[in-house]
Amino acid sequence: MPKLIIDSISVEVADGTTVLEAAQSVDIPIPHFCWHPALGKAGACRVCAVKLVDGPVKGIQMSCMLPAQDGMVVSTTDPEAVAMRRHVIEWLMINHPHDCPVCDAGGECQLQEFTIAGGHGIRRYTGSKRTHVNQDLGPFIAHEMNRCIQCYRCVRFYQEYAGGTDFGVMGSAGKVYFGRFQDGQLESPFSGNLVDLCPTGVFTDKTARFRARYWDYEMAPSVCQGCSLGCNTTPVARYRELLKTTARQNKAVNGWFICDRGRFANNEVNDPQRPRTPLVDNRESSRDEALDALLLRIAQIEEQYGTGSIAIVGSPRLALEGALLLPLLAQCCSAGALCYFTSQEESDTTLFLTGLLSAERSASQQDVRKSDCIVICGCDPLQEAPMLALAVRQAWRNGGVVYVIGDGIDLPCTFTTVASLDAVPLADAKQPVLICSAANRPDLLAATLKQQTHLKLAVLFPEANSFGAAQLAMAQGAISLERAVASGTIKGIISVEADIPPQLLAGIPFVAALDWRLTEAVRTAQVFLPTTAWVEMDGTAINHEGRAQRFKKVMHPGLPLRGLGPAVHPPHIHRSTPPGGDPQPAWQIVALIIAGLSGERIAEPFSERWKRLRELEAESEGVMTHDL
Amino acid sequence: MIYDPLDIALMLAKIALVFFVILTLAAYLVFAERKVLAWIQDRKGPNRVGPFGLLQPLADLIKLLTKEDFRPIGADKWLFYLAPAMAAIPAIMIFAVIPFGAPLRLFGHTVQLQVADLHVGLLLFVALSSLAVYGVALGGWASNSKYALLGSIRGLAQLLSYELSMGLSLVPVVMLARSFRLSDIVAAQAGCWFIVYQPLAFMIFLISIAAECKRIPFDLPEAEGELVAGFHTEYSGMRFGLFFVGEYLNIIALGGLAATFFLGGWHGPLLPPVVCFSVKVLAFAFLFIWIRGTLPRLRYDQLMHFGWKILTPLALLNILVTAWWLVLRG
Amino acid sequence: MKIVSDMTALLTGMWITWQHIFRRPVTIQYPEEKRTPYPRYRARIVLTRDPDGGERCVACQLCSAACPVDCISMQSAEAADGRRYAAWFRINFSRCIFCGLCAEACPTLAIQMTPDFEICKRDIMELLYEKEDLLIDGCGKSHDYNFYRHAGIGVTQPRGAGPKEKPPVDVRGLLP
Repeated sequence: MPKLIIDSISVEVADGTTVLEAAQSVDIPIPHFCWHPALGKAGACRVCAVKLVDGPVKGIQMSCMLPAQDGMVVSTTDPEAVAMRRHVIEWLMINHPHDCPVCDAGGECQLQEFTIAGGHGIRRYTGSKRTHVNQDLGPFIAHEMNRCIQCYRCVRFYQEYAGGTDFGVMGSAGKVYFGRFQDGQLESPFSGNLVDLCPTGVFTDKTARFRARYWDYEMAPSVCQGCSLGCNTTPVARYRELLKTTARQNKAVNGWFICDRGRFANNEVNDPQRPRTPLVDNRESSRDEALDALLLRIAQIEEQYGTGSIAIVGSPRLALEGALLLPLLAQCCSAGALCYFTSQEESDTTLFLTGLLSAERSASQQDVRKSDCIVICGCDPLQEAPMLALAVRQAWRNGGVVYVIGDGIDLPCTFTTVASLDAVPLADAKQPVLICSAANRPDLLAATLKQQTHLKLAVLFPEANSFGAAQLAMAQGAISLERAVASGTIKGIISVEADIPPQLLAGIPFVAALDWRLTEAVRTAQVFLPTTAWVEMDGTAINHEGRAQRFKKVMHPGLPLRGLGPAVHPPHIHRSTPPGGDPQPAWQIVALIIAGLSGERIAEPFSERWKRLRELEAESEGVMTHDL
Repeated sequence: MIYDPLDIALMLAKIALVFFVILTLAAYLVFAERKVLAWIQDRKGPNRVGPFGLLQPLADLIKLLTKEDFRPIGADKWLFYLAPAMAAIPAIMIFAVIPFGAPLRLFGHTVQLQVADLHVGLLLFVALSSLAVYGVALGGWASNSKYALLGSIRGLAQLLSYELSMGLSLVPVVMLARSFRLSDIVAAQAGCWFIVYQPLAFMIFLISIAAECKRIPFDLPEAEGELVAGFHTEYSGMRFGLFFVGEYLNIIALGGLAATFFLGGWHGPLLPPVVCFSVKVLAFAFLFIWIRGTLPRLRYDQLMHFGWKILTPLALLNILVTAWWLVLRG
Repeated sequence: MKIVSDMTALLTGMWITWQHIFRRPVTIQYPEEKRTPYPRYRARIVLTRDPDGGERCVACQLCSAACPVDCISMQSAEAADGRRYAAWFRINFSRCIFCGLCAEACPTLAIQMTPDFEICKRDIMELLYEKEDLLIDGCGKSHDYNFYRHAGIGVTQPRGAGPKEKPPVDVRGLLP
């Protein structure tokens, strides 16, 4: 445990910690480009220079390359170190084009920050700048090599961290080039992280190209809804349009990165076809009219077919707040069935696997990254939950062994294909992790799990809140919609953000839908009420390991300014609410229905065992819900 | 006592004339003040309404009449409404005793160019100018506003203090004229104006009436820099207008009295008596405007110090000296 | 004698104000008489064009960020040739305080202030100036500046052909 002094502050850090990290641990910022907490050091940019005044090493040193040693006395503000950093910035700026006004990184650019902080203002170098030709890197990433400062972050992430092979470094000396060997889309499913990683504007998000500036962003901590991993994100919105999504750090979950599937997933929210107005029999109406119509129809159905003829259908993508209110709704309209899953098979496997996932059993992405033996059992993480594949690669990089049961599975690391679980030396492994999905036959796992008590389990559920839906389904004794419809008594369906296949809706006389996507249920519904997408509301989702995470409202619901009319510029109209701004979070609409049916007003969806989630912070690591 | 109908008619005519003249004069004094101040400050002043801006007083009147009549929450309704009248009416009543011209022979009658030639005209004036204090005191108190209250407290103290020196400065005048009747005082100056005998009393009177009118440099009751607008902060519309007009009526009345007591009233060379008197009054008005364009405001302690420790003793001394001189002369 | 000096001071002041009464007023009777504003006067804002006729504004949002009253809003977009431009650009002159911070912030010298200060309107909505109202056919104050020629990323010239730029690197070449 070396003990050193940085800027008169005494720090004790773990062995192997660099001086840069030691300084960060006491909130002393040292500028850095090439060093990244997830990628480690490269010693390429020379901007983290500090002066060691006393101790085993003396003089100007690169703090990211220097392991902390006992007795070091470090000064980050020594004139010599400051001058060094200023000079480094000045020479990094020698070839940088001065195009910040037309660069998407402008305003969120580390190079800008450190140039200003370093005190370099007027260009003294009179020579010419080196230039590069850009490459077309596909529809997601824009490339501008002239801006490059050769920190090597991109290639270190792409090749080492993510295992990509089609992107690398070319040339030598002052001509170093980061790109593909030829034009073409980046193949790695994690290529979007180059945008977050690049300290300047070489890689920018093409989907949000020239859309807004950092200071105009509407941002809030959020959780990716692409799969059940619950990676932490910061979506960015402007003018009621979701522009892009950036990764947010959560050490226990996604670390520093997110996959491209979660990153480039704006279309659904921005979809011009997205239903935004309440409909009664396909006629536009106000929210109150639609609510009244819904209450009336519920009464009619009950009168006509008797009680118990209505099914309340939630879904694994419905936020926990909404899912929690459904049992109450079912009670209020004396529903015949409460469903969280539509298909019987999905219901069975999800409930079964959720039952297996105790607090000790469930493996987080961090557990996967730290594991020394990983078994992937009949699922394809790269397709179903790409970030888990990235976690598997990190385990492999740290010396873990990866076993795969099944064919046709690709991973960004080397692995051994085995026939069955018996062939894996699980007993010898310290922290084995078994990865499986709800799609294969999980009942076979039960025996192994019983034997290997230290084996952790990571399950790839299809939706963001599958775990929460399964927990509720178990607690409430919910059945699948398939079974409920098969019983023949269901004459009305109230679908709350549920994806119901057409055949289940076919014989139902009355369908009401609450949703923000244009699903089959929305198309057939007699009464439709729009709900908000996850970026338009505060909500909670429980990820694959049972971790509840809060996502915050990023933007107001409403038609994006971009689609408001034929005029080039926004209309000259004053109004207090945006057009298409009717949607409300699903749980609030459910609460309104409950209030209409029973008169009970619900202001807070979390009650009883879920009370602890009221105070859940979006920026925390989340709360495990196993023992709530 | 039987009144001749003609006397009554004449009296009413004089009242109407005085009313009309002094109200018009007050309105145009406002205009003149704005103009002269503008000239002093190298500006043009109001020149938009009518030729040379001459209809500006009318425009101001219309504006004041059409403004919202505002009363603050918690204000004492009746006192709040009464105060502006209390400020304006005494100022108008003072004109009753001012002789503004030589007696006129008309249809065989001798017509005094004075509304009421009282035996105790001077005392009436002193009494009325004391009454004006109530407008300031009640207006500030009834407004239920701290600025107004502070302004009215200042106003009370200032008016009471300077009333004393003003009254004392008039004692030598009475001693010289041997009458409280204003027409007698004017008549006594037919040969030589009292300013010649009493320059000190004149100066004390001048300073005191400036303070009585709350004019710069004695405008502490309405000091804009400190008290928003002082005792009339909360007034709007024509009620504010009454305070405002009252102030200018005061200037004219006190100017007329200064002319009457020290500058020979309507006596004067060459010009007809009424014109002589008018010129003197307007000269006083101009002097006040000129002073306003020049001097800064006194500090409050300076004001009180000056009033009590300098003006009052000086006035008393002046009485003593005058009495001594009169006794010596027999 | 203090009283004499005090009286002299008072009378000096009175004398000075007396003299001023007869001075010529400095007032300018605005609607009838007009003063020609200086060229650098800060009034109505315009968007200028570069010497080649292209729009100078690249919608970098710096003016809207600098604006203390938030009266500028815009949406940037990309033209076919890679040029960044303002799809729409709006200045709400009913809010503008003509402080000139936008013109100072503008890195491309696009946004400039003109001496035209007479832009009163009866209807406040008419003070909402869109890009077509703001854009002028001219360079305004800097006749020879074209941001893209110096930006170093091509657009108006082939990459590496701008002033003080080397031709693009051949990344496959092995020569140092």
